[in-house]
Amino acid sequence: MIDVVNLCKDYTLKRKEPGLKGAFKGLVNPGIEKIHAVADLSFHIDAGEIVGFIGPNGAGKSTTIKMMSGILTPSSGSVLINGADITKHRKEVVRNIGVVFGQRTQLNWDLRLGESFELLKHIYQIDQKDYDRTIDELDSILGIKEIINQPVRQMSLGQRVKGDLVASMLHSPKVLFLDEPTIGLDVSSKYALRKFIKEINKLRQTTVILTTHDLGDIQELCERLIIINHGVMMEDGNLSEIVDRIAPYKTLVVEFYDEKAPEANFCEMIEHSGNIAKYKFMKKDTTAADIIADLSKRQTIKDVSIEEAGIDDIIKIAYGH
Amino acid sequence: MKKYLYIIKTQIIKRLTYAFDVYGNILVQTIIMITSAFFWKALYKDGGTAGGVDVDSMLVYIIMSSVLSVLLITNVEKRIEQSVQKGTVATDMMKPVSLFGIYFAEDIGTIIALILQNILPILLIGSLLIKVPKMADLRDLPIFVLSVLLSFFINWFLAALFGMMAFSAVNIDALIQVKKHLIRLVSGSIIPLWFFPDPIANVLKFLPFPYIYQLPLSIYIGRGTRAEIFTGMEIQLAWAVVLFLVFLFAQKQITRKVMVQGG
Repeated sequence: MIDVVNLCKDYTLKRKEPGLKGAFKGLVNPGIEKIHAVADLSFHIDAGEIVGFIGPNGAGKSTTIKMMSGILTPSSGSVLINGADITKHRKEVVRNIGVVFGQRTQLNWDLRLGESFELLKHIYQIDQKDYDRTIDELDSILGIKEIINQPVRQMSLGQRVKGDLVASMLHSPKVLFLDEPTIGLDVSSKYALRKFIKEINKLRQTTVILTTHDLGDIQELCERLIIINHGVMMEDGNLSEIVDRIAPYKTLVVEFYDEKAPEANFCEMIEHSGNIAKYKFMKKDTTAADIIADLSKRQTIKDVSIEEAGIDDIIKIAYGH
Repeated sequence: MKKYLYIIKTQIIKRLTYAFDVYGNILVQTIIMITSAFFWKALYKDGGTAGGVDVDSMLVYIIMSSVLSVLLITNVEKRIEQSVQKGTVATDMMKPVSLFGIYFAEDIGTIIALILQNILPILLIGSLLIKVPKMADLRDLPIFVLSVLLSFFINWFLAALFGMMAFSAVNIDALIQVKKHLIRLVSGSIIPLWFFPDPIANVLKFLPFPYIYQLPLSIYIGRGTRAEIFTGMEIQLAWAVVLFLVFLFAQKQITRKVMVQGG
């Protein structure tokens, strides 16, 4: 569905020095700096996938999304959507994609929400029957009809994002790009949005690419993760595989009846204070049950719990902090 | 094509919601009309003609110049500047329409809304306070309309080319003002070029500017021979074509340069 081949984007920035002196200097002789926002990115995404595109601020996620959706022209490399190069055939290819930016809107600030939809209906030349059906279908997921006559400028952020989601799906795109869609939303709006993404993926086989900083989004939605940093691909793969590879261990926390904590096979005691001891073990070597069985032969156990490396740990490690 | 018509319609709806904004321009145009009316009446106080035009024709000229100025309102420069500054150019680029097609349709929509909101009031005020701006010879109406159409295109392509600078310069506020007033000066919209010193007028004759205001207004007040007017319209057509070609070329280049600020 999507092929990204050796994608690069360079920016030239005017280097601005601080202070009044710097401002004058910048006016006369700006130093020019070349920044590689995205460097040699290649990957393939199949139809019907939900891919989480993650990385720290300034990693080049948004730049990549903008190139994939035809908004920015790559410095080199290409993006193929359904086999067609989006830079060369922007007007045709964008019919297959929908884009939602959490931080900006494609709705018309001065018009009622419905008027923005009508405008899109004409721009994408959607016929009335398809349009009505799509609106009904999206209404059943998001409840959009109750705000359809409201001017966009009077909407709350949550309502506006809902409006933007519907706007991006009106022409039934095969690919949906979501750039930080949950930014600033409250819990119930986030929940509605995640439900929406899951539903359209299931019902319409829409391929979804989303960038987010919300770990809940990733856990709930993404089977596959692409992690980039400084414009370079760090990881690309199945979420659980990445977790297994980056953090192939678990920690078993055991509480004994007294302060003596025994060693056990295939694991390492990493902490011991009072009655509580922590054992770190590799998932491939053993299981928590075996360690508990082993320990209980040597000491009486009062309580156990297992700590797993969370997604935030994975991301911290993958970002290279 | 249908989609652009709908953009025009949406733009009309949008403009009609900003009623207040519109009264400002009526006031500005009224002030300009009345000031220039006093100015020309004082200059012509001994009667007679100047530059082959008498005082009555000159008064018609200034009223119609105000009317024409509404038809020649362009928003494209400001539109590009704002969408580059705020990064909303992204949402225009992701739709299956041409970027400048959107801008053109929006400007057309604005002008249609302004015919009601601006042109009619200005005509009415001009007629009541100064003079009813009757056309010198109604048989010239077709060539007048054609000439206004060409001047509209010259003006719009100039504005679009100018606005393209915003894609790399980001802030062109001051330049927009400079351009606006420069065009008013050298297009004969306030003072016709036949009052300019000959060397300057002769140079300006070969530039596109006098063909934005002065040529259609001259046709309206019946100044100049048939031959002069047709030569003028040939140059006008040539400029419209040249600017269109430059515009087409530049528009292809510029979309590659699109920057999206923030986020």
